[in-house]
Amino acid sequence: MVEWLSANWLTIFIPLLAFLATYIVGLWLRRFIDKLLGRWKEKTKWEGSEVVARAVRRPFLLWVVLLGAAIAIQVSVLSPTVKSISGKAIGSLFVLSFAWVIITLGERLLRMYLPRWKVPQTTIALTVNIARITFIVIGVLIVLDIWGLPTSPILLLLAVVVLAAALAFRDIVPNLFAGLQLSATQQLKVGDYIKLETGEEGYVTAVNWGNTHVQALDESTIIIPNSRLLHGTIINYGRPLRKAEEPFRFSSRAHLTELTGLKAKNLRELVDCLKQAPDGVIYYHTHHFLEQHHYLTPELSNDFAIWVSDALGDEVLGERLATIETFASPNLGTLRERLVAVMEDYLSQGSNFREAMPGREFHFMKSVSVTMPTSYVVHDLREFVEALRKISLGSLFLHIFDSRLRLGRGLNDFSIWLEDDLGETELAEEVNRLDPYIYTLEGLRSALIQLIEKRIK
Amino acid sequence: MLSDYEAIAGRSAVEELRLLSARLSGKVIQNVNSTFSGGGVAEILSRMMPLLEQLGVDARWNVIKGSEPFFHVTKKFHNALHGRKDRITKEDFALFREITQKNMKKMRLDGDIIFIHDPQPVGLIGKKKERDKKWIWRCHIDLSHPTKKVWDFLKPFVVKYDAAVFSAPAFSCGLPIRQFLISPSIDPLSDKNRELDQKTIDSVLEKYDIPQDKPIITQISRFDYLKDPLGVIQAFELVQKSIDCRLVFAGGAAGDDPESDKVLAEVRERAGDNPDIHILPISPDPGSDIEVNALQRAATVIVQKSHREGFGLTVTEALWKSKPVVASAVGGIPLQVQNRFTGLLTYETEGTAHAIRQLLTNPDYARWLGENGKEHVRYNFLVTRHLRDYLLLFLALEHNEDIIRL
Repeated sequence: MVEWLSANWLTIFIPLLAFLATYIVGLWLRRFIDKLLGRWKEKTKWEGSEVVARAVRRPFLLWVVLLGAAIAIQVSVLSPTVKSISGKAIGSLFVLSFAWVIITLGERLLRMYLPRWKVPQTTIALTVNIARITFIVIGVLIVLDIWGLPTSPILLLLAVVVLAAALAFRDIVPNLFAGLQLSATQQLKVGDYIKLETGEEGYVTAVNWGNTHVQALDESTIIIPNSRLLHGTIINYGRPLRKAEEPFRFSSRAHLTELTGLKAKNLRELVDCLKQAPDGVIYYHTHHFLEQHHYLTPELSNDFAIWVSDALGDEVLGERLATIETFASPNLGTLRERLVAVMEDYLSQGSNFREAMPGREFHFMKSVSVTMPTSYVVHDLREFVEALRKISLGSLFLHIFDSRLRLGRGLNDFSIWLEDDLGETELAEEVNRLDPYIYTLEGLRSALIQLIEKRIK
Repeated sequence: MLSDYEAIAGRSAVEELRLLSARLSGKVIQNVNSTFSGGGVAEILSRMMPLLEQLGVDARWNVIKGSEPFFHVTKKFHNALHGRKDRITKEDFALFREITQKNMKKMRLDGDIIFIHDPQPVGLIGKKKERDKKWIWRCHIDLSHPTKKVWDFLKPFVVKYDAAVFSAPAFSCGLPIRQFLISPSIDPLSDKNRELDQKTIDSVLEKYDIPQDKPIITQISRFDYLKDPLGVIQAFELVQKSIDCRLVFAGGAAGDDPESDKVLAEVRERAGDNPDIHILPISPDPGSDIEVNALQRAATVIVQKSHREGFGLTVTEALWKSKPVVASAVGGIPLQVQNRFTGLLTYETEGTAHAIRQLLTNPDYARWLGENGKEHVRYNFLVTRHLRDYLLLFLALEHNEDIIRL
């Protein structure tokens, strides 16, 4: 043994010396790089710099050892085959360790930055895993290449897998990126009221990596893919307004006309029937014209006035009856008294004894109203005004006209809710002051919307 | 499809139908009339049945069977109820009873709501037994001046119903049962009313050899004395004295109207050889609806000079096409034509001629009336509103109060 050592000491000593020299240079280089990184950290003040420095520092000694071993083997007297195999092994170890550094670095940076963009945890985990797999695959491919093994079949397999994944997730991927972009740009946040050009609207309740949840006016949840939000036009009304103690539930009403069998051919008969007719009849004849001809600018607003003018040909009395303000009557009893008073006063003057032509008699009718809940349930002024744009004219009629006189509430339903449940006393009063009889129904809808929009601003 | 009506009648109108129909699930509505084709009733039912089905309402439609003499009798009844003096014998009443009895034996009337249309099947009420089944008589004709003899015969049947439905207030007549007002309707998507391109209109006019060189006055109606075809020609001749124009009088025959051939012959004779009068008997084929549509759209002014009218759906069709209308103030026409707002109402031939002249010489006024007319129909006389009223009626029969909360 000693003999062998004394004969071959040079063949052992030189590689050993080369290894030690490399290691010492490596140690010195690490200290130098440490200093450089320290200065760079101070200079950039980038919070990621610490992560980069730590990731590079840890495997540095391993790389120095690998480099030393490689040089030692090259200067040794080992056979070329052993040298080649050892070189490949050391190269492979370096590639794998380098890939590990990149993976660690990438993961730490992603975990540092993605939460700041409010990316959900599930998305972060998914992104980290994708990055991890990508670098492992690249590392393995390089190692295979070092050993001279064919990489084409693996690349082909990978291409197929990637293609299959792309196809499988073709809908998800754009939404995922759109979600990232929405979060990064803060275009919409939970709590915002949004309206899409395609008609969906409501409060944003969640922004996920693939889609956004919106609570619609009917309290249902609409799930909208993020890519649609990114590429379509959205109106964002911003943060929610004050919520009501109780939501306003819109109802609708439809009515059916019932014939009472009562009819009048002159003013005397008209007054007599009017006195005994049920309230539903008074309501019908003072309101149905509004609803049936709501597209016209309001003309004479009650059937009595129209009939007296048209069928009896008495325009003076027609005008007197038309100018009785339905809005000024607190209930149907008062309205009936006012109509009867005008007619009796006219009769007492002996002014009208005309009779309607056969077929033009006044037929007393009443409406049978059916009220039913709609899907619109609103909690604040934003939702209220958006629902107002959508409800049927029957619904508007019910809450404005029916509630005041027919259902005997004295006020319209909107004012009651605005005052009692939302504390909007001033707005409630403004809505209450609006005389609905001087508008067409669509005009009334616009006037209400304007009042509320003004309040929201 | 029901959703196709959203663009025309409004989304909320269709939503309302869905809300109401949901309350009728499990109920069977059985309609009975006298014919599957021809005339306004069959036309409305054929459009309404598929829509009711889409709304999930179990609606069925049956027709009574009757011989030709039976339909002669019911035609006489129809005329008599409209106030025309026809000779009606004891044998006529006996035949009506006999056919009614036969139908009562043959027909299964097991719906929850039995909806009987017009006088022909009115006698089926004899089968009413169970209290929870509701029977409704839907009267499509003008009963404001009925011949007493016929009304006295029919009234005992009518009063046994739970409710009667009329198309105009004046049609109701002192009945001890609940009476409702429901106007009939048109279907804006049917061939008779849908939009047409100019090429189609031109091809129809070419087919009937009607040049478009002067204003066209049009009346679309069956060849029936109650539609006053001779009066229309007379009014046209008065207009023609001062304004160069054409008259198109076009119409088909209902399956239960055996009188139309006789009227057509008289009309042709009255028109004589006036090259500007076009008398067009339209075949009852389904394809002819587009032709009627085209003739209405080609018209400058549309006339409906009826002596009596149930409701006058041809007027509704004309208004829907934004046409200025001159019509008699009879039946349901005043509900549609609000004088000087959505058309002009007249009473006599001279008045009709004067109104036509007024519209031909004032096209801006004519256009304004036409546009108002279309809006009036949109909100009050489309099939969606009609469906809604029927659904409301079925619900109202189960409640006695004026305000029903669902």
